[in-house]
Amino acid sequence: MQSINLHLKVLIAILVSLGLAITAYQIYVLDIPVTQDETDDIWSLDARLEFQAVAGTPVKAQMFIPPLDQNYISLNESFISNNYGVSINQTDGNRRVTWSARRASGNQSLYYRLVLTQRYSPEAIEDPAPAPRQPIELEGAEEVAADALIRPIRQTSADIETFVSEAIRRVNDITDDNVKLLLGEDTSPLGKARVLDVLLSNARIPLELVHTVRLESTPNQEPELWLRSHNGERWLYFHPETGQQGIPENRLVWWSGNAPLYNLEGGRQGRVTITLNNSEMNALRLAEMTTENTSSALLEYSLYGLPLHAQQVYRVMIMIPIGVLVILILRNIIGIQTLGTFTPVLISLAFRETDIGWGIVLFTLITALGLSLRSYLEHLKLQMLPRLSVVLTFVVVIIAGITLLGHKLGMEKALSVSLFPMVILTMTIERLSITWEERGGGHSFKVALGTLFAATLAHLLMSVPELAYFVFTFPAVLLILVGFMLAMGRYRGYRLTELVRFKALMTKG
Amino acid sequence: MFLWKTWKTLSDAGVMGINRRNADYVLKYNKRNLYPIVDDKILTKERAIAVGIDVPELYGVIETEKDIDLFDAIVEKHRDFVIKPAQGAGGDGIIVIADRFEGMFKTVSGKIISRDEIGHHISSILSGLYSLGGHRDRVLIEYRVSPDPLFKSISYEGVPDIRIILLMGYPVMGMVRLPTRQSGGKANLHQGAIGVGVDLATGKTLKGTWLNKKIAKHPDTTNQVDGVQLPDWDGFMNLAASCYELSGLGYIGVDLVLDEEKGPLILELNARPGLNIQIANDAGLTTRCHMVERHLAALKKTGRTESVADRVAYAQKHFGQPVSRTETPAEEPGTAA
Repeated sequence: MQSINLHLKVLIAILVSLGLAITAYQIYVLDIPVTQDETDDIWSLDARLEFQAVAGTPVKAQMFIPPLDQNYISLNESFISNNYGVSINQTDGNRRVTWSARRASGNQSLYYRLVLTQRYSPEAIEDPAPAPRQPIELEGAEEVAADALIRPIRQTSADIETFVSEAIRRVNDITDDNVKLLLGEDTSPLGKARVLDVLLSNARIPLELVHTVRLESTPNQEPELWLRSHNGERWLYFHPETGQQGIPENRLVWWSGNAPLYNLEGGRQGRVTITLNNSEMNALRLAEMTTENTSSALLEYSLYGLPLHAQQVYRVMIMIPIGVLVILILRNIIGIQTLGTFTPVLISLAFRETDIGWGIVLFTLITALGLSLRSYLEHLKLQMLPRLSVVLTFVVVIIAGITLLGHKLGMEKALSVSLFPMVILTMTIERLSITWEERGGGHSFKVALGTLFAATLAHLLMSVPELAYFVFTFPAVLLILVGFMLAMGRYRGYRLTELVRFKALMTKG
Repeated sequence: MFLWKTWKTLSDAGVMGINRRNADYVLKYNKRNLYPIVDDKILTKERAIAVGIDVPELYGVIETEKDIDLFDAIVEKHRDFVIKPAQGAGGDGIIVIADRFEGMFKTVSGKIISRDEIGHHISSILSGLYSLGGHRDRVLIEYRVSPDPLFKSISYEGVPDIRIILLMGYPVMGMVRLPTRQSGGKANLHQGAIGVGVDLATGKTLKGTWLNKKIAKHPDTTNQVDGVQLPDWDGFMNLAASCYELSGLGYIGVDLVLDEEKGPLILELNARPGLNIQIANDAGLTTRCHMVERHLAALKKTGRTESVADRVAYAQKHFGQPVSRTETPAEEPGTAA
């Protein structure tokens, strides 16, 4: 007995921890949403390049497109263009699309669309550190101005981070003569970035220009310029005007470097419009979509891998253990008597089709009618089998009658009784009749009531959508249930009803 | 909290609940393949006769619809008899014929029934109406026990029987089940019969239980139910204890009757005896079962086994009243695991 107990405990421990581990893995590692309602942001980014083609010359339009190895996952990427050849090449960590056409005329529109989301993305890969660079050569007044700026910056800074911040602060002070000289006419962020590049290169500090877009629903967005510098360990991002450090979450790096967003050969009056749109999508559908794009087959081996019609069946089936658990608790811990062990679960499944309120009415009505017929037939002294056959036929007739009546009265609910609930009902009546014969009316009434109660409770629990979703998505939960059921198999404590039953033993004497 | 307090009190008193009975006793001591011996009264009877245990005489068995014709031949020589389903439970489906009347039959309660009605009843039994799980059944027709007049004062109609619970052949608790008006002459507690505890040592009745309540008087006759000395108590105990060898089941309830002429007889065995016997005896089964289990463990160490007489002696020594005597005696080594 001792060894069996130990065996059981180990088994329960294994099942429960396995169930917990798998579920935790699904939630925390695979990032599967815990509730069905969870939605994720989806960003769709449209970039439209318009230009006037110059007649007679081949057109070659090049445009940077966001790299895909960032903190986001692309769900869909498309290039829409009539009669243009499309090629994508990777240069210096940037991606660039090249549209080309032998001849084109008039207004041209080339589209690039990227749909992306942040969830399910693999760990972001840091861009590699830049190679050490040579100072940008300066001459004359510019050299003097640059030196005049660098010297105080060097004195008031401690490391790369503070150096860059200080440099940005000074470059943005356009009242400074040195800055004025270096900036010239160009006081745009790009101009300032250029000056910073010069300054930092002379201080041998790496600097890159990164062009980003904001993930906000905005039409006509201008790429936002950020600077980044590598401190030997990681990239530090700076805003070129405010000196703000650290790039906000919702910025998507589009390309880096000094090159403009696009360049055009054989076209003029080029213009790029960037539009961002935000939509929300059911997190789970998103997970399904992203599996195609990620290597982890997170849902491949789950029930979501089944064909849809099979999924429908399993959605119901996988909840049966929950119903059984309810019956187990009601019977072994509470002590409620039910008709058989699994009949209540079957009835609760039948309630799915008839819907609970109507189901209870129907159950009560039909069982009562069926049983009263039974008691009438008892006077005729029929053999058991023919008697039950008559009762069952009668039940079918009653159900058909109720359905017909309900239909005539315009109660569509009455039509919901399908074959399955009918079979369950007739079975229940058969078993109740037998109980009646064997144990009397009072007992069968008690049992019927217990069954109805258990079925209702099981149904209510089984039809909680969050629970149904959870069990279907994380079937390993069933292992935990089995663990509990096994433990119940060794439960020796009193049932709650026994506390009432044995109350007489409380009083001494 | 109330529930917790009740729980604690019952647990301290060693009261056995259904879950414990099923897990620790029925499942542990009763092999499933032996169930037919107790579930089928004909098999029980055959086994009992084979080992020389007294049972009510079997007049005949009806197995098929065709055999119903044999009924008249079977009962020809007997004015009174009992018709029983072989696999029935809880006393359902039993008809007790006390007399004949104008070619008809008269039940104990005085109701006259015709030969046709009996035929219909037998047919119902055969089709499995009263059997566990609705299987086809057999009908046995047997000697009608006439209860010892001793019970007249504390019983109402019907035949009182004596239920003794055995663990591995050791009687652990006993009660007399007395039919009431409410139970319709049947000795089943769930149908309203009363259960009266019996002091295993002496065979004297204790107070009783009726519908889960403690009582001291019979609800129909209002006579005191306690303090009645059952005759031939040692005979009952020995007969019951020998049912272990008969069935091979470790945890059973043995139902016996006391016949006016033939003395104690085995009526049937039950592999899942009820728990109300505890209320009748005002004692917990768990406490007593644990004592027997400790005793068995101690015996096992010395490699001894005990005979029927030894087992009865053990039970009478430890499970008699007053309750204080049931405390674990000093000679018991090897306490609980």
